[in-house]
Parts: sequence; structure tokens; C-alpha cells
Amino acid sequence: MQAQLAITPQQRLIFLAYVAPFAVLTLLFGLWPILLSVKVSLTASASALKPDAVFVGLANYRAVFADPLFLDSLQRTLVYTILAVILNVGFALGYALLLNSPLIDKGKTFFKIAIFLPVVTPDLAGYVVWRFLYDRSFGAINALASALDLPLFGGLSSPNTVTLALLIAELWRHAGFYVIIFLANLALCDKALVEAAALDGANRWQIFRHVLIPQLRPAILINSIYALIQFLKTFTVIVVMTKGGPADLTNYVSYYAYQLFDQGRYGEATAMGSVLFACVVAAALAAYALGNRRPQ
Amino acid sequence: MKPLFKTILGMAFSVALSGATAQAQELAIWHDLGDNGNAWVQKAGEAFAKTRPGVSIKPSSFPTDQWFGRVIGAINTDSAPALIYNNYERVIRIQSQTGKVMDLKSTLGEVKDKDFLLEDDLKVATYAGKMIILPIQRVQMGFGVRKSWLDKVGEKFPETWADVQRVSVKFHDNDPDGNGKADTYGMALEAAKPRDLIHILDLFIFGSGLRATLVDAKGDVIIDQPAHAQVLEEILKALTVYGYTPPDTINHSFAEMYQTIEGGRAGMFRVGDWNVKKWDSQALNGDFVVGPWPQFDPARKNAVVIGGMRGVAVPDNAPNKALALEFAKFLLTPEAQQASLETVGAAVRKDLNVSALSQRAQFFAAPKGSLVAYDFPESVHVWYPELEAAYHRKLLGALATPPKDFKAFIKETAQEMRDLKAKLAAK
Repeated sequence: MQAQLAITPQQRLIFLAYVAPFAVLTLLFGLWPILLSVKVSLTASASALKPDAVFVGLANYRAVFADPLFLDSLQRTLVYTILAVILNVGFALGYALLLNSPLIDKGKTFFKIAIFLPVVTPDLAGYVVWRFLYDRSFGAINALASALDLPLFGGLSSPNTVTLALLIAELWRHAGFYVIIFLANLALCDKALVEAAALDGANRWQIFRHVLIPQLRPAILINSIYALIQFLKTFTVIVVMTKGGPADLTNYVSYYAYQLFDQGRYGEATAMGSVLFACVVAAALAAYALGNRRPQ
Repeated sequence: MKPLFKTILGMAFSVALSGATAQAQELAIWHDLGDNGNAWVQKAGEAFAKTRPGVSIKPSSFPTDQWFGRVIGAINTDSAPALIYNNYERVIRIQSQTGKVMDLKSTLGEVKDKDFLLEDDLKVATYAGKMIILPIQRVQMGFGVRKSWLDKVGEKFPETWADVQRVSVKFHDNDPDGNGKADTYGMALEAAKPRDLIHILDLFIFGSGLRATLVDAKGDVIIDQPAHAQVLEEILKALTVYGYTPPDTINHSFAEMYQTIEGGRAGMFRVGDWNVKKWDSQALNGDFVVGPWPQFDPARKNAVVIGGMRGVAVPDNAPNKALALEFAKFLLTPEAQQASLETVGAAVRKDLNVSALSQRAQFFAAPKGSLVAYDFPESVHVWYPELEAAYHRKLLGALATPPKDFKAFIKETAQEMRDLKAKLAAK
């Protein structure tokens, strides 16, 4: 049995000195705003920002859950999140595997830059461009469809296509980040296992399913959790592209709460924020627990 | 110390102190009228300072949505500006969220020269028994058309809805901007949020000479009455099946509507009195004519719409309230009103010199035609805002997925609204 390393008081002090600034920052800018937001959600909006705020208990939460618009909004947010996580993580995995395969020999750097560039592009600028691309009177997408004699795309103004249009824009914006995580994980995969499986007669699907995927579990887990958090909080794309429309179909929780906040309804807005926060934490923990289960 | 020296020293100290106090007297006013609004406040402030040396007025303009949040936040944290300025209905929202807008009844009582204020002006300035604004600018909105486009397609200013329909088709099909592309539309409207749609419906309905949009004075739902149903059906169709507006209008709010107008993508649009000053010199460069809203029925006179009143309000917790109230009253003087007319294009006084204004600005400043004001059901029926919100959500749904039979849709919606109203009224 390996002996435990003894830590001297001096080493402990150095450790604490290194950790303390970050712990303070986390408490100050991470935990404190969350607690403050929960506190505001328990107070009357008119007094919420004052030192002597009027405590109203769970009244704001009751009001929020009695609001059919919020319940619709929450349901749509969850559906959108599930679709976005599957699409982004699935696409990123496929893209990373393709980049890692011998199929793409030359131009790997180009494809890596191409997929990562949108991640560092200011999201506002990116979404404005997408809005113009989707525009049904002068947008490039419909101009192309028209030139190719294809049916026109409803884009952001049709209830049938608005979710798809947002998913595509968000995929463009975020997929690069997930691809980089997958590529990092793929670089650590044991190639000998793949070769051994091939020698044992496993086909490509079997190698992918039983050799690669188990080794990619950490990246799948991290990406899924990150994507869940990201898409549950979907906001900027809505502000820029749809403003919650058409007919409230993209009025996701963050945007709905923002609208209430803008009307000075701080109590209800932060109650919505707290509900969303609870959903994010629950989803992240569930994904973590699910991803950490040992394969049977 | 000799008494004379003491007295002189004391006087010098008092003068220095009063000078310092006067210098410190700055009144902040928050509005949403942009550069023109800043110019107006600046001009009025300079005139005010002639009688109040050392006082300066500091205007700050915010986009309307941000104005709400900032004002509410500032009032709720006791950091309110001395004065706030906006449309009456926006100040009502501030009052209903904060309960801290001063009652200005006695302040108006101190104004001697105020006969130019009409009963309707005072009515919209009053909410729940409190005079929440001093009325400063009447909000008028007319129907505007690009003049060069009308000339290009061989049309005159559209007076009736049938004219608008014909001109809309020509503006779309006849390349009125001459760029060789079919990229222009008949009208620029907005329908992203319930508030956007309310605005458009109000303009067409009141502009057609009707006096209510959803409920009448008794509170009865009227949207399926033939005259109302006709206008409602046509506007819903204009936003959907007729194709008079850009197809993405369902996602257009004020900003996008302005982009469509100023970017030269639509030929007919709303013109507010406050738009004229800018559009005379920039964006449209004066290439537009203004008239009343289209007529739907020869039996009813069409009109320019009075969309309420813009006015100045004072938060209960404003700093330097006495001086703020003085400036609020000063905004009704001929000097300040003339400045308002020249910079923003609107005022409430009728004795102002309009000769220097453009023809389009004079259309609002010295109105000759019929004027119809918004109704104000929320001041009478407490259930109205909730009913109205449900109504507009229903209409937005119809814009997203147009019904096959608009008449049946209106009938069904009217019944739903009656049921909802009964439920809300019984609460």
C-alpha cells in the first residue's frame, strides 16, 4: 500500500493562499448573485431593490406558476434544449470523428478553423447576419432556394420553421466548442484498442460503438452538461432574431424573465430565473449522474 | 473684529454660498425622444435658466424599452431623476409598477395660462384620480406615403382602403424605387409583440373613424360588429395573405419597422408628429406626404389619430422637487412650447408660430382635418389590460397561422373575449 504524502503546515498555508482568491471570487461573483436573486424573488417588486424590501414569501412563485404563458415558455424551453443538445453534441461528435479519420487528410486545419471561428465571433454580430440570411424578402437562403427552384424556407416568421432556423444558427455558433473538446478526447484514445478490435474482426460500427464511444464518455459528458446549461439559458439569439415570436413560440424562459425585468416586475422575473436555475442544476446533475454510471 | 468687516464678510460668504448652491442645481430629465428631444430640453432649459440663473437641465434619452427599466429601477432605489418624460400610457405603467408618480393637479392649478388644454388632454393625463403628467405634447399620427413612389406608379395619396390596396400592389410589382429588383412592399407595419400589434390596430381602427378597438364605453366586446370586423379582417389580411408587408413583419417591432421605412423597403407607413423633423432632413429627405388614415366606409370620416399625450411627470422621490415642478410648469409657456414644436414637432398650445415648419410638420401643428383620439378603457375597467393581452395573443396566433376563414375567426374570437371578460369582471 502506498504511503500517504504528508502535507506540512507550510504547504497547507501555500495551498490556501493560492486557493483563497479564487474562492472569494467564486463566492462574490458566483454564489452571491444567485442568493441575491433568490432573495429578490421572495420580495415585492416595487421594493425589491431597496434595503427594506417587503418579503412576500412564495407569492411571486405562485404568480409565475399560475401564468399559462410561463408554463408554455418553460415547456418550449425544455423541448428546444433537448433538441439543441442532441443536435450540437451529435453533430460535433460526427465532425470530430471525421476530422480524426484518415478520410480527411489534407485541410484538417482549415476545417478546424472553420468550425471554431463562429465560437469566437461576437454572438450578436453572428445572429444579425443569420437574421438577414433568413429574411424572406431579401435573404440569401431564399434567394438560393428560388434560384434552384426549391420551396422557399419559412425562416423566422413561420411557426413551422422558426425552431429549426434557431437551431441551425445556434449550431453554427456553438458546435466548434464541442468539436474541440471531442478532438482533445480523441487524441487521448488508445489506438491499439481500435487496431485490436479490427484484428478481431469488428466492423466500423462495432468499433465505434464498443471501442470509441466508451473512451469518449468524458467528452460526451462534459459537452452534454455544458450544452444543457447553454441552451436552457438561450437568450441572445432570441433578442436578436425573433423577440420571442412568432406568436410567443420562441418566448423562452430567459427572454420572458428579461421582459418582466424590463417592466420592473423584479419579483416575478427573478422567480422565473430561480426556476430556470433549478432546472439547469437538476439537468446538469442528472446528466452527470447518467454519464458517470459504469457501463454494464 | 469690527462690525462692518463682520457684515461684509458675512455677506460675501452668503453670496459665495448661494452661488455654489445655484451652480449645483441641475435637473435631470429622462425621455425617449432621441436627439430631437435633447435639443428641445436643452432649448427650454436655456430659456428657463434666464429666470433661474445657475440652473441647468440635463436631458438623457433612452430607447423606449430601456426607459421603462431605468425609470422603474431608479424610482425603486431612490435614485430617480428630477423629471421623467413620456407618453401618458407609459407613465401609467411606471405609476402602476412603483406607485410613486406625483399628483400634479395642484401644480397645474398654479398655471394661469392653460385654456389651450382640452378636456380630453386632462382626461388622459389623469390615472386613478391622480394627474400623473402635465400634458406637453399631443401625440398625433398620420398615414405617410413616399411621394416619389406615388409619382412613379402614377397614383395620388390613397384616401380609401381600396386605394391603399391598389397602391400596395403597385408598390410591390412596379419597382417604385427603380433599382430593377422586386424588393419593395406596400406598407411597413409591426407585429412582433402584442404591444406592436395593438399600436397598428389602434391606428387603422381609430383612423377609420371608429371610437373603440376591443370594448365600447359600456365595456361590451365589439370586435365582431360589422364596422369593426371589416377593419380588423382587412388589417389581419394585410399582415398575412394579401402580402402588402414584408413577410417577416411578424418579427418586426419598432426598430425593424423604422428600418423598413427608412431603408426604402415599404412605401406606406405611420408618421408620428415627432418623426417629421428627422424625416424632413434625413432618411427620407422629405420624400413623403402625410394625410389621414384610410377610409373604410364612406359613411365614416377618416382621421388623423391622437395617440394620447406626452407629458412630464415628477417622481415622489425626485431630488429638488420644487424646482422640478417649476420647470414642469415652464414647459407649458409659449417659449418652451415653441421650442417643442420646432425641435420635436409637437406641442399643446395653439398660439404658436408654425410658418417656419415644413408642410408635413404643419399638417400636425395646425391640423385642419378630423382628429380621433384613442379610447382609454383601462382607466374605467380594471379587467381591461388582461382581456386586451389575451386578445392580442389570439391575434398574433392568427398572424402566425392564418385562419382559412377570417370572418369565422373574428366571430369565434369575439365570443372567447366575451367569455373571458365575464370571467375577469366577476373576479
